[in-house]
Amino acid sequence: MTIAIAVKNLSKHFGKEVLFQNLSFQIKKGEIVAFIGPNGCGKTTLLNILSGLTEKSEGAWEIKEGKPERLSYIFQNYRDSLLPWRTNYKNMALPLELQNVQEKQIEKQINEIQGIFEEKIALQNYPYQLSGGQQQIVAFARALVNKPQVLFIDEPFSALDYKNNLLLRKHLQQYYTHYKPTILIITHNIEEAVHLANKIVIFSEKPARIVDIVENRQAYPRTVAFLRSRKYTKVREQVLSAFQKVAGI
Amino acid sequence: MKIAKHVLIGPVIVLVVWLLVSELKLIDAFFLPTPRETITELVKLFVEGTIMKDMLFTLQRMGIAFFIAGVMGIPLGLLLGSSRKLYESFEFVIDFFRSIPATAMFPLFTLVFGIEDRSKIAVTAFAAGLIIIFNTAYGVMHTKKSRTLAVRLMGATRLHIFRFVSFWETLPQIFVGLRTALSLSLVIIIVTEMFIGTYVGLGRRIIDFQYIYNIKGMYAVILLTGILGYLINVIFIMVEKRLLHWTEK
Repeated sequence: MTIAIAVKNLSKHFGKEVLFQNLSFQIKKGEIVAFIGPNGCGKTTLLNILSGLTEKSEGAWEIKEGKPERLSYIFQNYRDSLLPWRTNYKNMALPLELQNVQEKQIEKQINEIQGIFEEKIALQNYPYQLSGGQQQIVAFARALVNKPQVLFIDEPFSALDYKNNLLLRKHLQQYYTHYKPTILIITHNIEEAVHLANKIVIFSEKPARIVDIVENRQAYPRTVAFLRSRKYTKVREQVLSAFQKVAGI
Repeated sequence: MKIAKHVLIGPVIVLVVWLLVSELKLIDAFFLPTPRETITELVKLFVEGTIMKDMLFTLQRMGIAFFIAGVMGIPLGLLLGSSRKLYESFEFVIDFFRSIPATAMFPLFTLVFGIEDRSKIAVTAFAAGLIIIFNTAYGVMHTKKSRTLAVRLMGATRLHIFRFVSFWETLPQIFVGLRTALSLSLVIIIVTEMFIGTYVGLGRRIIDFQYIYNIKGMYAVILLTGILGYLINVIFIMVEKRLLHWTEK
């Protein structure tokens, strides 16, 4: 299978403080990979390096599959990443507007992406007129509107209630099964990781290293019923055991 | 527009105190006319028509000075705020001149611009401009990084980031500067009209009435100045709320 993201001996330190050192891994094209680890072990920094937001200290990384303009990032704090002065439509349209896409094409792509989400968003309203869950849908739609080949997601569900959390997981899987992007997702929630990812990477405390990689080869879409299955419980146990060792509890 | 009852408590107390002090003659009636006498005098000044000309000249001078301050202050503030080093290079100069009362600079401005309207407008524009520069630069420097990062990841250039994020993020702080500058402009214009070089304007009228001991007339024009300042502020807030609809959400 084609490699989408390759990381070799990657290190990041702030002054004398080493966040992680000599990290090496590869992510295959079309995989959903979840990163789990204790707070402050550098997961977000790693994601920021791979997306080009932060400079690495040493080592190398490469996005082998996916043009820069087809790379998207969904931030943990959707309220602070949406632009409140633009309507929901204009927020969703922004990535395409920046690429000088024609208005008709923008409209078509927004309608297409809206089709994935069951909840219809009032496009002419502003983000502040929506509930938290709906705002996160707008943030997701904005990230997905240009049909990214690589998608970075940083704790996307942490601010949502459980219902919206499950709904967005469902929408994300709908998008994934349709377009098959490579997805890298950071989460603190083992349930989310096992529900969504087909590979779960567990990081140690700072300076972070990869402690374990748990494979989770179940078919998509994974419904809520999957969360009650034996397969789910088995993978969850594996991840929990690895995490327990890391956390020392 | 609906006004909450408690908003009227302050003005009613001031009016009642004024009424009691003047009616009970706690202060010599010559130096403190009653509210009724003052309002009657104000109506008389309007009926005679002389005060309209004064008001229009004051507003015109203030408007021109405020316009110049805005046109020069906003771009300069945006420029200075775009680089912390650049702002710090000029921080001392801005704070130094902001600390000098504008009226202390007036003699200098009359030397440069002459004793007529140009010096009044220039000194007002100078003082108001400093307020706008300071607030605009502060706004640019305190824009939310998360939004800038989100748009940068979409492939935005520096110009895009300014056009789609920084400018809009700065707008609320620009309006804080504009509102303060507007009130200050009225104050400085009125004070400079009292000095020299004009026979028309509310400041001139106040000082003339004081010279000829038309105390009722003096109070009437002071009252009018206060009402004008208040109304300008109210109109500005209404415009601000309409334009910056997202700020209080």
